[in-house]
Amino acid sequence: MGNKGLVVLVLILCVGLLLTGCPKKTVVKEEPSMKKAEEPVTEREKAAKLEAEKELARIREEEAKKAKEKEFEKSLVAKKEPGIAGEVFESRLLKDIRFDFDKYDIRPGDAEILKENAALLMQYPKVKIQVEGHCDERGTNEYNLALGERRANAAKRYLISVGITADRISAISYGEEKPQDAGHNEEAWSKNRRGHFVILSK
Amino acid sequence: MVIPPAEARVYLDINAPTFVQIPIVLPKWNTVNKTPPTHTAKVYDILTNDLTLAGFFKVIDHSRLPSPLKEREGIPNPASLREWTSNGGEILLAGEALLNSNSNLILKFHLFDLVEQKHLVGKQYEGPSQLLRKMAHRIADEVVLQLTGEKGVHNTKIAFASVQGGGKEISISDFDGAEMKQITQNQSLNLSPAWSLDGKTIVFTSYLRRNPDLYLIDADGHNFRRLTSYPGLNAAPAWSPDGRKMALMMGMEGKSDIYLIDANGNNPKKLTTGHGNEASPTWSPDGRQIAFVSDRSGSPQVYIMGADGSNVRRLTYEGSYNSKPSWSPKGDRIAFCGRVEGRYDILTIGVDGSGLQRLTSNSGSNESPCWSPEGRYIAFSSNRLGGSKIFIMNANGFNQRPLTSAKGGESSPAWSRQLE
Repeated sequence: MGNKGLVVLVLILCVGLLLTGCPKKTVVKEEPSMKKAEEPVTEREKAAKLEAEKELARIREEEAKKAKEKEFEKSLVAKKEPGIAGEVFESRLLKDIRFDFDKYDIRPGDAEILKENAALLMQYPKVKIQVEGHCDERGTNEYNLALGERRANAAKRYLISVGITADRISAISYGEEKPQDAGHNEEAWSKNRRGHFVILSK
Repeated sequence: MVIPPAEARVYLDINAPTFVQIPIVLPKWNTVNKTPPTHTAKVYDILTNDLTLAGFFKVIDHSRLPSPLKEREGIPNPASLREWTSNGGEILLAGEALLNSNSNLILKFHLFDLVEQKHLVGKQYEGPSQLLRKMAHRIADEVVLQLTGEKGVHNTKIAFASVQGGGKEISISDFDGAEMKQITQNQSLNLSPAWSLDGKTIVFTSYLRRNPDLYLIDADGHNFRRLTSYPGLNAAPAWSPDGRKMALMMGMEGKSDIYLIDANGNNPKKLTTGHGNEASPTWSPDGRQIAFVSDRSGSPQVYIMGADGSNVRRLTYEGSYNSKPSWSPKGDRIAFCGRVEGRYDILTIGVDGSGLQRLTSNSGSNESPCWSPEGRYIAFSSNRLGGSKIFIMNANGFNQRPLTSAKGGESSPAWSRQLE
């Protein structure tokens, strides 16, 4: 351990002392007493070092968490929909899932995306979301509302199954009414057959 | 043409799968007193357009007549009807417009049979000149009644959803495409309008409060208010024939089912059972049955059940996608949208499952059929001209034409009753 490391260690120990209020003896002592208490100091040194390392790790973890929170906060973009009430947000960190034509089952790749979304939601227990079920333009508008309802609820049920509580998720169907891509080909259609997430409250 | 012995001659059976159009001559109308000639011209245009739209007339307007008939105005002398047959006309409609001392508009018309050389009917209508369109439509309705035995639909309106910005608003148009106006103004997603029995209220679904809820609005755009907001879908509402209930799609249990609610939105009752996705309820005219879409067999098909949910039976067996049924007000047939060779077409089928007829083909995708109140026309949406537009056709598929000249983005037509 270099000089710098020693200084940091001492600082942490002082912090630790302040926090715990435990009157630990400092490492720096008069030589005679140091010599006398060499073995217990080594033990204590070891314990203190462990404590300091734990402390350091804890602080680093908190800083990382704050950084990630900032990342999530930063990723939130307000969704502008003048005709639909409520201030909602979208985040690129909550990814869309897609569906096969005329189907509402969750495919394996999309299950992985849902798991990632769930992991993010676990980290932010206060966040409430709405999952939107969408369809491509083919078929009748009304039956597509029903299909979208199933898609939204399939995604919701999956999230619940991996541990997100039901009161945090609501489901809504938009049928074919809000396509992401206005094209009339399979590329556009497959983008439109989606489950999309919005954040209702953070 | 059938000529029953002691009754009025029936000129046309428009319920027949095919028919020959009746050639009808319309001489120029006469402008009397200080009536603005624009009034008369307008009445004439509305009449010729209405009779063309009706689908069973071949309209011979005055510009196609030889002189001196071309320049004649008003009601001809019954003794000289023969001279009007030169263009192949079999029926003649003539009239005059005048403003009386109260500034009311009076429209007088007479209908003649040129083949039998006789007068059929003569009537007059009086009203403020703001009601000019309505009065002209009344005349067209009378002509249709005289010649087909059933009143026309020229005083009906069609509601539909129309793309506006990022959403859809509910709009209404007259049967001839005129007087189109947008009645919702909430910039939201407004879908699936349906008319009340008395033609005064429209029920529809709106996402205004971030849920597909049912709303009501008066046909003049006033009095916009929410009717239901059950969790999940509140969609595709259909008033029962007696006006006391509505059938609709609701998703309270995580999937769409057909429910009944009272007309005031209360007392939801689930009608469909099982694991399918259920959509698009439509009532039989006697209110005893409901047709709807279900994919319980694995693909969307049209089914019929009792109005209490009992006795469910499948109606469509051909094709892998049959949806959006609409029950004819005559009670005997159901129109629906079927996927044929990858495109969507309008078909009709007898209520007993027989007599499948395809009404559109090789004309883009056609969806969302809706019958006129007397069951002789079908409105639907079609993208054959580019964007999605409301089209109208005779119930046998004849005479398909767009409702309005607006550019597109129209869907989900609903037809009012015959308005006074």
